[in-house]
Amino acid sequence: MRKKYLPIIPVIIAYLVLFLVGKNVSGTWQLVATLLFYCALGQAFNIFMGMTGYVDFGYVAFMGMGTYGMALGITRFVFLQEYGAVIIVIGFLLALLMSTLLSIAVGAVALRLRGAYFAIATIGVNEGFRFLIEGARIWNGSEGIIFMSQLNDILGRDAASALSTFWADVMVLVIAFLAALTTLLFMRSKIGYALTALREDEDAAKVMGINVTKYKIIAFITSACFAGSLGAASWALKTPYVFPPEVFEIHYTIEAIIIVLLGGAGTLLGPVAGGLIYGISKYYLSIFIPGFQLLIFAPIIIVIIVLFPQGVVGMLRDYTKNTVVGRFIV
Amino acid sequence: MLEVKELESGYGPMQVLWKPNLYAEKGKITSLLGPNGAGKSTLLATVFGSVKPWGGHVIYQGQEVTQLPTHKKVNAGLALVPEGKHLFPNMSVYENLSMGAYPKKALACKDASLELVYSLFPRLKERHKQKAGSLSGGEQQMVTIGRALMTCPKLIMLDEPSQGLAPLLVDMMFETVLKMKEEIGLTILLVEQNARASIDAADYVYIMHEGTTKFHGLPEKIRESDKIREAYLGS
Repeated sequence: MRKKYLPIIPVIIAYLVLFLVGKNVSGTWQLVATLLFYCALGQAFNIFMGMTGYVDFGYVAFMGMGTYGMALGITRFVFLQEYGAVIIVIGFLLALLMSTLLSIAVGAVALRLRGAYFAIATIGVNEGFRFLIEGARIWNGSEGIIFMSQLNDILGRDAASALSTFWADVMVLVIAFLAALTTLLFMRSKIGYALTALREDEDAAKVMGINVTKYKIIAFITSACFAGSLGAASWALKTPYVFPPEVFEIHYTIEAIIIVLLGGAGTLLGPVAGGLIYGISKYYLSIFIPGFQLLIFAPIIIVIIVLFPQGVVGMLRDYTKNTVVGRFIV
Repeated sequence: MLEVKELESGYGPMQVLWKPNLYAEKGKITSLLGPNGAGKSTLLATVFGSVKPWGGHVIYQGQEVTQLPTHKKVNAGLALVPEGKHLFPNMSVYENLSMGAYPKKALACKDASLELVYSLFPRLKERHKQKAGSLSGGEQQMVTIGRALMTCPKLIMLDEPSQGLAPLLVDMMFETVLKMKEEIGLTILLVEQNARASIDAADYVYIMHEGTTKFHGLPEKIRESDKIREAYLGS
C-alpha cells in the first residue's frame, strides 16, 4: 500500500475494535449498532459538508429516499421471493437510484446558490418532500409502507430476524467504511484538491480553471448515495416499515452536522471521532437524565464553534503535524 | 490576441457593460483605465466568464470564446488575477501555487512554472511553507499573481494588482508586470486605479467610462491630452 493511503489504517482499527467489542462483550451490540450508525452518518455527510463547506439542511431526505427504495424493492419485487436475498440487492439498487435522482434534482437548483442561501434553500427540501408524499399519497402517503411479512416471506422468519438484529448493522459498518475509503480516495486525488480549493475560496478556485460546479455535484451525489444506502440498511432493514414523518425528521440532519463539526469537518477520522463522542454521550445522557439528550445539541454546537472550530481531529492533526503519528491523521 | 467586441453584461437586471471594444496585442501591456464604477472589473470578469455575457463577442487567438466556460478558458491560456486577495488562506504558499497547476496542461509544466514564479518572487521561495493567510498584503498579492502564472497562461488579466499596497510595493508591482512582459513574453491586460504608473507601463491605453470604452491610444497621446486626463483620470 502506498504511503498516501496510510490514514485508512486508524479507520480500519476503529471500526474493527467497535465490531469486536459489540460481538464479544454481551449486551453491547445495541450500543455499538447505534455508534456505527452515527459514524456512518457522519462519514457520509462529511463527503459533502466537510469537503465543500456547504451545509445541507435537507440531508435526511436522501436517507428517506433510500429507506423508501428498500421498502419498494421488497414490496414490489416480492414475487421474486424464491431468489431470496437478490431482492435485498434490488432494494439497495433502488435506494441508490432514488437518492441519486433526488440529489440531482436538488443539486441542480440549490447548488447554484452559495453559503447561507444554499443552506436556507435546502431546509425546504425534506419538509417539502415529506408533504408531497403525504399530500399526493405517493407510496401509500402518510400511512407509510409496512413490509415485515414480505421480508419474512422472502428470507424466512429466522433469517429476517437475524438481518434486523445483526446483519443490517454489519451493512452499516460496511457503508461507514466505504464512505471513509471514498473520502480518502477523494482527498488523494484531483477531486479532493478541487474541493479543498472551492471550500477555501470558491472564486479563487474558479480562476484556477477548476470546474467548481462539476466537483460540487460529484461530492453532493456521492454523499447522497451513501445516505441512501444508510437509510436502506439502518432504517428499512432494521425496522421493516417506513413512515414519512420518521424518515424525513430534520433532527437527523442536525445530528449529522454536529458529528461532522465535533470530529472535524473535512477530515477522514473526524466522523469516527465525532460519531463515537456524540453517540456515547447521547446514550449515557438518555440513561442518566432521560429526555434531555436532545436539549444538549445547542450547548455542544456553541462549545465546538467557540473552543475548537477545527473539531477534535482537526486539533489533533495540528498537534501531530510533522510527527510519525501525524502521517496517519488526516 | 484578445479582442472584445460590443460586449454586454451586468448583474441581475442592471446592465454594466454597454458595448465596449478593446484589443490586446500579443506580447504587449494593454492598460484599462477609468473612474470607479466604469465597469473595468466587470469587463475582465465577463471576458473570463465568471460574469455571464449578455451579448457581443470575445475573440481569443482568432477563436470565438464568448460563451466558453471559465475552466476551458483557463485551459486555453487565459488567466485572471482577481481584485482583492483571493487566495486559500489555510494552505501554504507552495500549496497555493500548486493549486494553480490544477489543469492537466499546467500540471505538465509545473516544475518549470514554479521555478519561474520563484525567480520572479524570491520572497515566496523563502516563505513557501508558511500559511498564505499569515503573509503580508504585498506577499499575498505575489501569491495570487504567482498562482495565476502557474496555470501556464499566454494572456494574463490583472485586476488592480497594486490595490492596498504601500507606495514602495506599488513600484515593485509595476516592475513585476514589466518583467512578465519582457522576460516571460506574456500578453497583459492591466486594470488599474493608479493612472500615472499604469500609463507609464502600458504599450496601449484604453479609457473606460460608464460601461464602455471612450478613448484609446498610445500612452503618449493620453498623457498629452489635458482633456482626457481631467475628464476621466483626475490628474
